[in-house]
Amino acid sequence: MPVAASAIYFLNLRGDVLINRLYRDDVGGNMVDAFRMHIMQTKELGTCPVRQIGGCSFFYMRISNVYIVIVVSSNANVACAFKFVVEAVALFKSYFGGAFDEDAIRNNFVLIYELLDEIMDFGYPQNLSPEILKLYITQEGVRSPFSSKPSDKPVPNATLQVTGAVGWRREGLVYKKNEVFLDIVESVNLLMSSKGSVLRCDVTGKILMKCFLSGMPDLKLGLNDKIGLEKESQLKSRPPKSGKTIELDDVTFHQCVNLTRFNSEKTVSFVPPDGEFELMKYRITEGVNLPFRVLPTIKELGRTRMEVNVKVKSVFGAKMFALGVVIKIPVPKQTAKTSFQVTSGRAKYQAAIDCLVWKIRKFPGQTEPTLSAEVELISTMAEKKSWTRPPIQMEFQVPMFTASGLRVRFLKVWEKSGYNTVEWVRYITKAGSYEIRC
Amino acid sequence: MAPPAQSQRSPSPSQPSGKSEVSDLKLQLRQLAGSRAPGVDDSKRELFKKVISYMTIGIDVSSLFGEMVMCSATSDIVLKKMCYLYVGNYAKVNPDLALLTINFLQRDCRDEDPMIRGLALRSLCSLRVANLVEYLVGPLGSGLKDSNSYVRMVAVMGVLKLYHISASTCIDADFPSILKHLMLHDSDTQVVANCLSALQEIWSAEASTSEEASREREALISKPVIYYLLNRIKEFSEWAQCLVLELVTKYVPSDSSEIFDIMNLLEDRLQHANGAVVLATIRVFLQLTLSMTDVHQQVYEHIKAPLLTLVSSGSPEQSYAVLSHLHLLVMRAPYVFSSDYKHFYCQYNEPSYVKRLKLEMLTAVANESNTYEIVTELCEYAANVDIPIARESIRAVGKIALQQYDVNAIVDRLLQFLEMEKDYVTAEALVLVKDLLRKYPQWSHDCIAVVGNISSKNVQEPKAKAALIWMLGEYSQDMQDAPYVLESLVENWDEEHSAEVRLHLLTAVMKCFFKRPPETQSALGAALAAGIADFHQDVHDRALFYYRILRYNVSVAERVVNPPKQAVSVFADTQSSEIKDRIFDEFNSLSVLYQKPSYMFTDKEHRVPLEFADELGNLSIGEAANNVVPTQMVEENDKDLLLTTSEKEETKGSRNNGSAYTVPYDGSSTSVFASQAQIESAVSNPTLAGHSPQASFAIDDLLGLGIPATPAVPSPPQLKLNTKAALDPSTFQQKWRQLPVALSQEISVNPQGVAALTAPQALLRHMQSHSIHCIASGGQSPNFKFFFFAQKFEESSNYLVECVINTSSAKAQVKIKADDQNTSQDFSTLFESALSKFGTS
Repeated sequence: MPVAASAIYFLNLRGDVLINRLYRDDVGGNMVDAFRMHIMQTKELGTCPVRQIGGCSFFYMRISNVYIVIVVSSNANVACAFKFVVEAVALFKSYFGGAFDEDAIRNNFVLIYELLDEIMDFGYPQNLSPEILKLYITQEGVRSPFSSKPSDKPVPNATLQVTGAVGWRREGLVYKKNEVFLDIVESVNLLMSSKGSVLRCDVTGKILMKCFLSGMPDLKLGLNDKIGLEKESQLKSRPPKSGKTIELDDVTFHQCVNLTRFNSEKTVSFVPPDGEFELMKYRITEGVNLPFRVLPTIKELGRTRMEVNVKVKSVFGAKMFALGVVIKIPVPKQTAKTSFQVTSGRAKYQAAIDCLVWKIRKFPGQTEPTLSAEVELISTMAEKKSWTRPPIQMEFQVPMFTASGLRVRFLKVWEKSGYNTVEWVRYITKAGSYEIRC
Repeated sequence: MAPPAQSQRSPSPSQPSGKSEVSDLKLQLRQLAGSRAPGVDDSKRELFKKVISYMTIGIDVSSLFGEMVMCSATSDIVLKKMCYLYVGNYAKVNPDLALLTINFLQRDCRDEDPMIRGLALRSLCSLRVANLVEYLVGPLGSGLKDSNSYVRMVAVMGVLKLYHISASTCIDADFPSILKHLMLHDSDTQVVANCLSALQEIWSAEASTSEEASREREALISKPVIYYLLNRIKEFSEWAQCLVLELVTKYVPSDSSEIFDIMNLLEDRLQHANGAVVLATIRVFLQLTLSMTDVHQQVYEHIKAPLLTLVSSGSPEQSYAVLSHLHLLVMRAPYVFSSDYKHFYCQYNEPSYVKRLKLEMLTAVANESNTYEIVTELCEYAANVDIPIARESIRAVGKIALQQYDVNAIVDRLLQFLEMEKDYVTAEALVLVKDLLRKYPQWSHDCIAVVGNISSKNVQEPKAKAALIWMLGEYSQDMQDAPYVLESLVENWDEEHSAEVRLHLLTAVMKCFFKRPPETQSALGAALAAGIADFHQDVHDRALFYYRILRYNVSVAERVVNPPKQAVSVFADTQSSEIKDRIFDEFNSLSVLYQKPSYMFTDKEHRVPLEFADELGNLSIGEAANNVVPTQMVEENDKDLLLTTSEKEETKGSRNNGSAYTVPYDGSSTSVFASQAQIESAVSNPTLAGHSPQASFAIDDLLGLGIPATPAVPSPPQLKLNTKAALDPSTFQQKWRQLPVALSQEISVNPQGVAALTAPQALLRHMQSHSIHCIASGGQSPNFKFFFFAQKFEESSNYLVECVINTSSAKAQVKIKADDQNTSQDFSTLFESALSKFGTS
């Protein structure tokens, strides 16, 4: 069996129960005490998200200031359980309108109980799709659409939709203005050695969509990925266009994408859900354009002084710019005094994280600002222990830039009524874990 | 359902204390019950919300049951839901009141609104009151035939709930066959999926008693059913897809074309966004191709990309779940992943559970072409990340060194570690250098030069110290000051707390003596004297043994203690390949994360102790899990695979003594690490025992008498206990009921013992070393209660003990029951002497 969860608990950081739902009788009622005693009150917390205590297994995840704990008594499917929690949280978020934390739970606990009953029955996951659930479980808790009393806006066939074939979209949607928003969001992960060679580098990207379209539209998306382009030129029997093509290492799609057609024609075609959703995810390891180069030199001058010089080079187009650039340069714990000179942005020493934090709000392309700092250390009487340097970490967002070079070639919307649509496409690249050893 | 967490704690001041608020609510609910004023539903809603919130924080609101039911006559669906939730929570503890709700629930089951029909049916089935099942059959029957799929979906789950309350009612009403029909014919996929999970559960449970049920269970994995489900797989929800894929893994295709058909059909599932679906698909692929070696290989290549993507996306918990599976595959086929080693590089902020897995994978995929990069990366971690991970990474470097042919560069790295002057790095590196020398003695020259520079004062960890001492003994001819270092260690004998180190010290001094007799003689004398006076029995025994063998014949002693050694070619694997295969068979489940097959953590047998302990009051299972193991599993038991996880940390340490960190022993029969039983047989060997008057001490010692320095302890009779006795809790309970009390007495506990008894576990371990095992324990200071058992050596005669220790009066009340009444007095004395030693050793 995939997951037959025996119980699900929502706890705050102190270990108080916010919500509990027991689905099966095969675990005792004191399971939450066991969790508190063996995990929350020990060093175990955070060492492993799966633990066995007295014959039961506990899966737990921390989301903002809440622990969600699933208890199972059998040999359950772990991936399924965690995915369930993640999906459930996404569902709650879509109901609460954003935040998921202790307060939101306290304010909405009746709603959560309702939802917990719908999304899992006797420990088996049921329907977690927000689009469908919102049809019959509403935040205001208004009466059921089937009740005999007339309501102003009847929703037809809701229960058919609950379990229908196109589970992610209901019929009869009408929008005055038909619009599609498409965002390509990439995060670059980098691990660079102290000698400046790239140890590991990859891009995980996702395509997020927001659809406000009437009826049951069919969408087709074309990207400049290698396989798709080759297939196309093969079908149209003309030589592939020159220009950059991207090799995607691996792609996963939202359930609305017709995978059979993707496998045969290599085009992404789908009937989108209404509103926001994640269309696809991909991963790229070859030919990544790093938006920034970081060149640090850190000199330890004796035991009480350090000289830090960091040059950051932006290597994207000169017309573009990065936003919210933060560079965290680690310094030893016993730092006493720091003084800086920066050519751009602002820097300060944050003792709480033992870092020099250099922030540049707007960072144009093809520039190379520098930071030079002098760090004075408290001389300690303790025996000489060399300082092990954590890596420099970087955060940024670069709009209209993709580290992979991926571009949308076309986005076609087809609906039987033949309305016109407006398509919006945006690109953004963010830092994932961008680490430079020094 | 039990009321939620009532036992958790007394309500904090800010929370309502309960009583007055509850009676207040009662009054208000009564007023509203009959009212038909406009807006009454809203005020009801507020009240219901309050009730539910009290229920959640653990205040008992069951006294409102009647009022809640009265208020439930409403068309407001939110009110209904809250009422259902309340009823579901308290029906089990108030079966009589639950009867009140049947009426309105049954009425709601016939409501015109399918939503209400479904909800009412779900609540009706969730009451879980055994004497109400007769009311369930009717609504369930009509629910399964309902025109609305939502109701059918709920009804199917209802059947499963009914089965768990009363299996016979469910079977008699012939629900399983209705479910089977629905599964194959319903248009709604969620109904089908629920039928599938319900039928799987029902038939698996029935299969043990009924032929027909096991046939039906087989029928679930027959070709028509599987094909029917596979053809519809895209219509199923992602969760139901997991369910179907799980079922497909059990299916055995008739030929290879069928295998390829299934794989082609499921190919696109690998691109699904839900990691659970991807893993389930991978499992199908791996299972199907198990017998086709080359295709199996291609499958590995094929699933690599989706797995690597899953690892790098999602929350750390999710990627941990996937990573564990990847880990399993990497361990099975490291060569497939050897070019992807960069994916296993750790990020600075990753949680340590992820890092640990990655380190193991890096170790596994290392080969000739990537070793240099991997070792360079691992060396970064040794300096850069948190200490446990740094230790792991140094160990990883060592493991790579042991599995590679070209160890040149790695040895240099290891030696650099020794020069880093960080305590933990030095400690780990020493242990590694030792292992390395055992496999590659030719490197001794380079290593010894560096090791010789390490001052033994800077090494504190027992394992590292033992390794250093071993090297001092083994290579004493190459290290100039070895005898003097050893001598100074012997001088500080009393300050050395670890028995392991003292044992190694004895052996090392012996070895050194054979190589450089004049310089070592005085150290040897001091070491033997200190060893014989040592109160740790293994140290004492070994010292005595060396002493005698030296007196007997020095050259024989040299042959025994310091024989020419062969390099170790392969270090033993910690897990048998059979266990690994079992884990692989259970791909995509908890087994992979726990790295042990499911029977080791889900069998009822292993869970009995907890229930038994509960019966005895709030007792913890202690080490009981250890003892319920049938004897044939003792081997695994030794590998601590069966221990409860909470104890694992501690036992792991001691296990490592036995495997990874054990210095090779010299082939003599007194291997310290052999089980106690072996020592027992070795020393109680009559030839040795008759040899010297001292021998009787040795025997006494093993039986728990302690050193002669404590003459106050009564001399125990010659009763030997089985060190690996096994008894399961149910047998214990049965015997305890049957047998008369053979002896009942009060024993006083010595003050050290009282001091050491802060937690029950301390005594358990102590008693276990005297072959008296604990089956259940519990209590808090000052009263502790224990149930022990022991078995006579080579006989199946059991002794059962109930022992209540009061730490404030330092007295223990002991009741002993025995299969063999004649020896109960002997056992009692033994028990008393064992207890009296608690806290002194």
